[in-house]
Amino acid sequence: MAFLEVKNLEITYTIGSGSLKAVDGVSFSLEKGQSLGVVGESGCGKTTIAKGLMQLLPKNGSITGGSIKIDGKEMVGLSREAMRRMRLKEIAMISQSAMNALNPVYTIGDQLVEGIMAHSSLGRKEALRRAVEVFEMVGLEEKRLKSYPHQLSGGMKQRAVIALALTLNPPLIIADEPTTALDVVVQDRILHRILKIQKEINSSMIFITHDISVVSEICEYIMVMYGGKVMEMAKTDDFFRHPYHPYSLGLQNAFPIITEEMEELISIPGSPPNLQNVLPGCRFQERCPFAEQRCRDEEPGFAEPEPGLLTACHFPERVEEFREKAAHRDTWETVRKRLIEEMKEGAAHG
Amino acid sequence: MDEKPLIIIENLKKYYPVRKGIRELFNTKKEFVKAVDDISLTISRGEILGLAGESGSGKTTTGEIIVRLQEKTSGEIVLDGHPIDDSSREGRKRFRREVQMIFQDPYETLNPRSTVFETIAEPLKIHGWKDKEKIYRRVWEALEIEELKPPEQYLFSYPHELSGGQRQRVAIARGIVLEPKFLVADEPVSMLDVSIRADILNLLKGLRRDMGLTMLYVSHDLSTIKYICDRIAVMYLGKIVELGPVNKVLSKPMHPYTKVLFSAVPVADPDHVKERIVIDDEVPDQINLPVGCRFIPRCPYVKDQCSSCTHELFEYAPGQFSACIYREENLTVNDDRIIDEP
Repeated sequence: MAFLEVKNLEITYTIGSGSLKAVDGVSFSLEKGQSLGVVGESGCGKTTIAKGLMQLLPKNGSITGGSIKIDGKEMVGLSREAMRRMRLKEIAMISQSAMNALNPVYTIGDQLVEGIMAHSSLGRKEALRRAVEVFEMVGLEEKRLKSYPHQLSGGMKQRAVIALALTLNPPLIIADEPTTALDVVVQDRILHRILKIQKEINSSMIFITHDISVVSEICEYIMVMYGGKVMEMAKTDDFFRHPYHPYSLGLQNAFPIITEEMEELISIPGSPPNLQNVLPGCRFQERCPFAEQRCRDEEPGFAEPEPGLLTACHFPERVEEFREKAAHRDTWETVRKRLIEEMKEGAAHG
Repeated sequence: MDEKPLIIIENLKKYYPVRKGIRELFNTKKEFVKAVDDISLTISRGEILGLAGESGSGKTTTGEIIVRLQEKTSGEIVLDGHPIDDSSREGRKRFRREVQMIFQDPYETLNPRSTVFETIAEPLKIHGWKDKEKIYRRVWEALEIEELKPPEQYLFSYPHELSGGQRQRVAIARGIVLEPKFLVADEPVSMLDVSIRADILNLLKGLRRDMGLTMLYVSHDLSTIKYICDRIAVMYLGKIVELGPVNKVLSKPMHPYTKVLFSAVPVADPDHVKERIVIDDEVPDQINLPVGCRFIPRCPYVKDQCSSCTHELFEYAPGQFSACIYREENLTVNDDRIIDEP
């Protein structure tokens, strides 16, 4: 059994009188020392997965199905207190906004020491020694322990947040867009530092981002999400060399690569599905240029066209044709026209 | 593009005085943050110039000065033969018509209480359009240009009913409805999802193609600059360090800072072998600048002579200028500056 096993995870938010499944039947597993990049557009459920794993969902959200097993131990249904004890020691999160993750009225050192003492049996002195160690790991000087958050630059704050998350060598690290607000030079340093530490302490890492090029650089596996579901999952290198799912093909078209001469970027027309009113069939059907009746009737299961590569599409055998067509703007233009027609019809009937 | 440039920027400076509280009483020496420090640029008609750099480089300040959201400290900006600070009534009005800006956050730039129609029609009304029929037609056209189709679906929507991409289109529609000559776009896609970014970029490209619009595209994202711009100017601490055609600068960067910046951009290609240049990632002191080149404290290629650098731009290759006193082929890594880390 893998170190982290997530099976059919369902996370539901209640909104007004209704509800929506932000994460709908997501399964994946991760061995020790492996890293998985989770990518997708806003609203695809990637951050919800992170919060679900930490069990730090907002009040209106809850895990409504499935299981999360860390090292064989079931996490779903654990008491708040049991879960609190797990955090930082067993599972730690590097959050997106370093600016808000730190308490402005305590020094960074106090916050680190408090975290270490609350989650381990170390005394103050040992905790302080540990704090100095992790500061060194993330490349901050010891004297910064005495600084308040406002005295640090954005990059330093982000490193302090990383230090905070990694103090107890957690076997599972969840990084939610840890570098999105930073400049590229800073981002580059921080990414490689996270990677180095993750390898050193042999943790598993889930790295959540909207930037597929970051995943390409630092994760071994990639999971592409759309509308609360997994569309494609593969080894990162395989995924970037030959993706299968039409959504992945669309994403690659839309992404500028700095080292390549780009003829034209092509976007995916339309917008993500309304999860409060889910259509039967494939989640991507409305924006997919290859959608057929079957896609509207029947939800695709996973096909494994290559060992270790999973794609949630009915037609993995037509991938050559899809790749060829997806590279042309016209293919996606037909989707745009169809969506405009549908809107007009909708307006006429409504 | 052989005619006179649309925009000429000469020796532009923007200094912000630093407040030091009580110490100001005792210390008469004034200190400044030199956000933009003596830059000169021209932008040709129909050209898209990318302005790149990290936080604090002065790129946004430059954009804001051009649209007069900020007043310059000194220097000259001439738009189509008229200085932009022409303060006559007529001059001001012409300027407001000819220069427009698009901002980063489409969630904050639109008035939540105005419909799409009101938002786009407002500039027309301010500039004296009275005929309701004409205004309506012009707004409709702008929506069509922006690919907000069918327009009747959007005319009376409020911002909260629109997605991020649609809002950004409305913001651009408002920007172009008066058919400006010059558009400043400050990070117009950085808040948008990848799948819709391409749409906005293509739209901006289309505006240049169809309306001959000239643009200053301010961004920290070199990949989108490469896609949309003709030329790029890289800024570092208020100075332009490299300037040239996008394809040249981003395939063979000459200035050490551009090289570092370029090497830090993540590449979505597992087969790409990257030369990583690791430097100190701390934001430099913006008040006590080093003597000579401003990149000295972080530059991996630094040599003794660098303190004599005046940031003069040298044309080392046709059209490609670098402010480094060394040619790219003469740069050698300074062993003291190697940061030992993966």
